Amino acid sequence: MMLEQKVKITSHQKIAPQVFLMAYASPQMAAQARPGQFVHLKPSGPGPLLLRRPFSINRVKGSNLFIMYRVVGRGTSLISSLPKGTEMDVLGPLGKGFEISRKYSEHVILAGGMGLAPMQFLADRLKAMKLESRIFYGCAGKKEMLPCPAPGKIIATDDGSCGYKGFVTDAFLTCIDKFKKPVVYACGPWPMLKRTAMICRQHNIDCQVSLEAFMACGVGACQGCVVKGVKEYVTVCRQGPVFDSREIDWEQEFGL
Amino acid sequence: MKNIRTKNSIDLSVEIAGIKMKNPVLAASGTFGYGTEYLPLVPPGLFGAVITKTITLLPRAGNKPPRVYETPGGMLNSIGLANVGAEKFLKEKLPELLSHHPVVIVNIAGNTMEEYVELAGMLKGRPGISGIELNISCPNVKQGGVAFGSDPIQAAKLTTLAKKAADKPLIVKLSPNVADIAAIARAVEQAGADAISLINTLYGMAIDIDKQRPVLGNITGGLSGPAVKPVALYNVFKASRAVKVPVIGLGGIMSSDDAVEFMLAGASAVQIGTASFVDPSAVKEITGGLKDYCLKKGYSKVSQITGKLAV
Repeated sequence: MMLEQKVKITSHQKIAPQVFLMAYASPQMAAQARPGQFVHLKPSGPGPLLLRRPFSINRVKGSNLFIMYRVVGRGTSLISSLPKGTEMDVLGPLGKGFEISRKYSEHVILAGGMGLAPMQFLADRLKAMKLESRIFYGCAGKKEMLPCPAPGKIIATDDGSCGYKGFVTDAFLTCIDKFKKPVVYACGPWPMLKRTAMICRQHNIDCQVSLEAFMACGVGACQGCVVKGVKEYVTVCRQGPVFDSREIDWEQEFGL
Repeated sequence: MKNIRTKNSIDLSVEIAGIKMKNPVLAASGTFGYGTEYLPLVPPGLFGAVITKTITLLPRAGNKPPRVYETPGGMLNSIGLANVGAEKFLKEKLPELLSHHPVVIVNIAGNTMEEYVELAGMLKGRPGISGIELNISCPNVKQGGVAFGSDPIQAAKLTTLAKKAADKPLIVKLSPNVADIAAIARAVEQAGADAISLINTLYGMAIDIDKQRPVLGNITGGLSGPAVKPVALYNVFKASRAVKVPVIGLGGIMSSDDAVEFMLAGASAVQIGTASFVDPSAVKEITGGLKDYCLKKGYSKVSQITGKLAV
């Protein structure tokens, strides 16, 4: 059940260049949120922002929801300046999250750059369910690396400054045969997701991807946030943001 | 207590083109989906009427994404009339829509005049549909849309044909992307429109300077939101002075004060769109604020605001 609430920022800090971690308290949203879902928020009252901005839920701790985001434009730039205690209007939790099934013996997480944002919540949930999981996290280099507290995680950097030198998808590919009956959850830039989807298709591995898009309403009314599915356009806000990778037409090219 | 009773006694109901509505705040086409998407947040019955997404004869996939983008004070969209098509709408979407919302107006568009006529005909005899809004003003489609709405002769011809084919009140939705809004308004009135609504979105675009490409997949889009309000207000003012049929105003209405401005300028009712995206319960604030305004100004009926502008 989605809620519309006024909430207060309980903590807000810079954790990497241009990357922020914000938390706000909402016991109801915290209780309902599922990994992969998102919230649609804006500062309360009139201001320079018109539309809300969608953010995946990074973690839930007690009654706090955490949001990890990179400053990419006017909206995130303004939001990053909001101090602790600021009131925000939040719609959420929204969208379809990851489907977690015990039919898989291993749960493999592939996160590229900011794609780590929804994956920590997923990793927490898998751990709580006592399911075997492994995180592959890729970024441009050591400087851009986000804090990712997960034992046994495998790191890949494009410049080789830390861990495997190359893309996170290649790091995964090198040890793909070690997994028995795995499922892959992926979030990151479009080319990375496309490559992940191709690898999983070739190896007959189920794969769920989390997508992002500009959106207006966040609830499926405006049809603004679509991406091309194999049959028709699908709304990222309502039918996603998590999709079975086989539902998406990866040949499209977006300015995402 | 006296004040509360007085506020409660204010009559918000309006009748437009024979359609009775409990209040003058309508959900604008394309912004309230098929009337069910907002149900968890917006209890049914808050709007005077819900206007559906534009329905076309055949299903439409809509335009290439990205389809929405925020600009200062406004929102660009290039959805492109994505919808399930008339058949599926009537069979699957309409019954549920009618079960939640008492007054439903169906917005229609076609690629050709014949398609508009066929659609109007398909809605004939359908119980529950209170009226038809003719979309001759969408800037995001190659055929139809604003192509019919920017020429008084074409607009009048289409209105005549649709009026003949329909058995319900006909509201014609006009575009601001024209040289003389009064001429278009008069033309569709003479052709039989029972009411007019305006404005649809303004042509607009945005460019990604890093990629050196347009932001929207469709290159251009339609601008809505507070940025367009002064333009919308001007058009409502001009059009309402040119016609005798009721005018429904829309374009950047975010608050009850905005709604009052449109009514003072000549609107009998208003539609909200972008406001619902920002705040799904905006309709509550607007109807409440209209009552407060009536109370303050000593009106017993909201319809008394219409056209009160002193010029």
